[in-house]
Amino acid sequence: MKQFILSFIALIFFVFESIFAQLFAGDTFGDDKILVPHFMMIFVFFLTMYGSRKMGMLYGAILGLTYDVVYTEILGVYMFLLPFLAYLISKCMKILQNNVLIACLTAFVFTAVLEVVIFQMNTILSFAEMPFGEFAERRLLPTLLLNLVFIVISCYPLKRIFEKLDLQGEAE
Amino acid sequence: MPQIFNKKLLLLLVSIIVLVALIGFSLKEREELTWPEQFLKDTTGWVGNVFNKPVSGITGFVGGLKDLQHTYDENKKLKARLDEYVLLKTQVQDLKEENEDLRDNLKKEDDLRKYSPIQSTVIGRNPDRWHEMLTINKGKRNGVEKNMAVITSNGLVGKVKSATDFTATVQLLSSIDKANRVSAIVQGDDKAYGLIEGFDDKKNLLLMKRIPYDKKIKKDSTVITSGYGGIFPKGLLIGKVVDVKVDQYGLNQTAYIEPSTDFYDINNVMVVQREVGGVAKESDGEDEAE
Repeated sequence: MKQFILSFIALIFFVFESIFAQLFAGDTFGDDKILVPHFMMIFVFFLTMYGSRKMGMLYGAILGLTYDVVYTEILGVYMFLLPFLAYLISKCMKILQNNVLIACLTAFVFTAVLEVVIFQMNTILSFAEMPFGEFAERRLLPTLLLNLVFIVISCYPLKRIFEKLDLQGEAE
Repeated sequence: MPQIFNKKLLLLLVSIIVLVALIGFSLKEREELTWPEQFLKDTTGWVGNVFNKPVSGITGFVGGLKDLQHTYDENKKLKARLDEYVLLKTQVQDLKEENEDLRDNLKKEDDLRKYSPIQSTVIGRNPDRWHEMLTINKGKRNGVEKNMAVITSNGLVGKVKSATDFTATVQLLSSIDKANRVSAIVQGDDKAYGLIEGFDDKKNLLLMKRIPYDKKIKKDSTVITSGYGGIFPKGLLIGKVVDVKVDQYGLNQTAYIEPSTDFYDINNVMVVQREVGGVAKESDGEDEAE
């Protein structure tokens, strides 16, 4: 049952990202700014923090693979990156204090890391032709702002859901 | 402790190797997706379809309200152009009839311009905005196949990158990909042929490269597909020229084209199938397909 609810939420996030991109692809937020929703990744990050590492990495791998297959058609990038970041997050959370503010900040920092790594990856594969300065100004900043807003909105509900589902008990 | 560290390191190395192998596999030009990929795409496509209906209903309503504000001004402008339109329509009708007559006389039936459209709705867009791709709700069952042209009522938007049974992925013209090329004509007294490849996403302009250096290209001339790539029909509108530059060696020119469609606001598209088949497999070259 737990798994069912979790995968359902994951699916909603997965589809919502695409719908968001479709609705706000245009100039809604200013001329040439590009906003990339990373809602699914934030879900994975919070799952790692409030659930367990195992769960985070598993969901990261499955969601990442689905993302690669359905959206980007370059297999492996997200599938590899999401579990890896989830692993790093769980390591960080061992050192850091476990409160909501710190959790939000960590999720925020890792979203930035994700975006930069994906940018480098696409540059290597020659799907991107932007210098880093332009990337930072046109993509990174707006993207981070958008995702910060999303993190702030979603952190409390997600925390409640994960704690209700009692995922930590399962891992021990 | 060192034992565990080694195990983790090994896992990391293995996954990097798998990653590189997978990327290599997916960059390869593939005729068809593997069945797990098709299954995943169909399933998520179905879910996307379910969500799309209420969402598009709401956005349609909001969009309708926005339109309502501009109705008065628009109406004025349109009324002014109405007479022009009637004249144009009769001319087009006349030309069409004449064209048909001439074709009959020549007994030439196939035409690169003819195509049959498949109507479909956009149900998703790639959220990671590096690869500009859309998902549409028609697939192989409806006759959509790889490499078909995709248009809106305003003009060409891209081509089908892959098709599964119930969905298809459309690669937009604005997508940065070396394999994304369309053979095109700049209309005018002196027709110029070239390839649409690349997109300047800061200025929102398409690049049309490899136009011979001696062609004089006027600004504001329209650009259409040539139909010589083997798959796209002829005469699909792409956009109009806003700027021309000679390339770095002076052998070719590059035209900057303002696309006639807004690549960021696409809701309904038509997948078009050319009625005349392509050239034989071995000769259809670099233009659109590869």
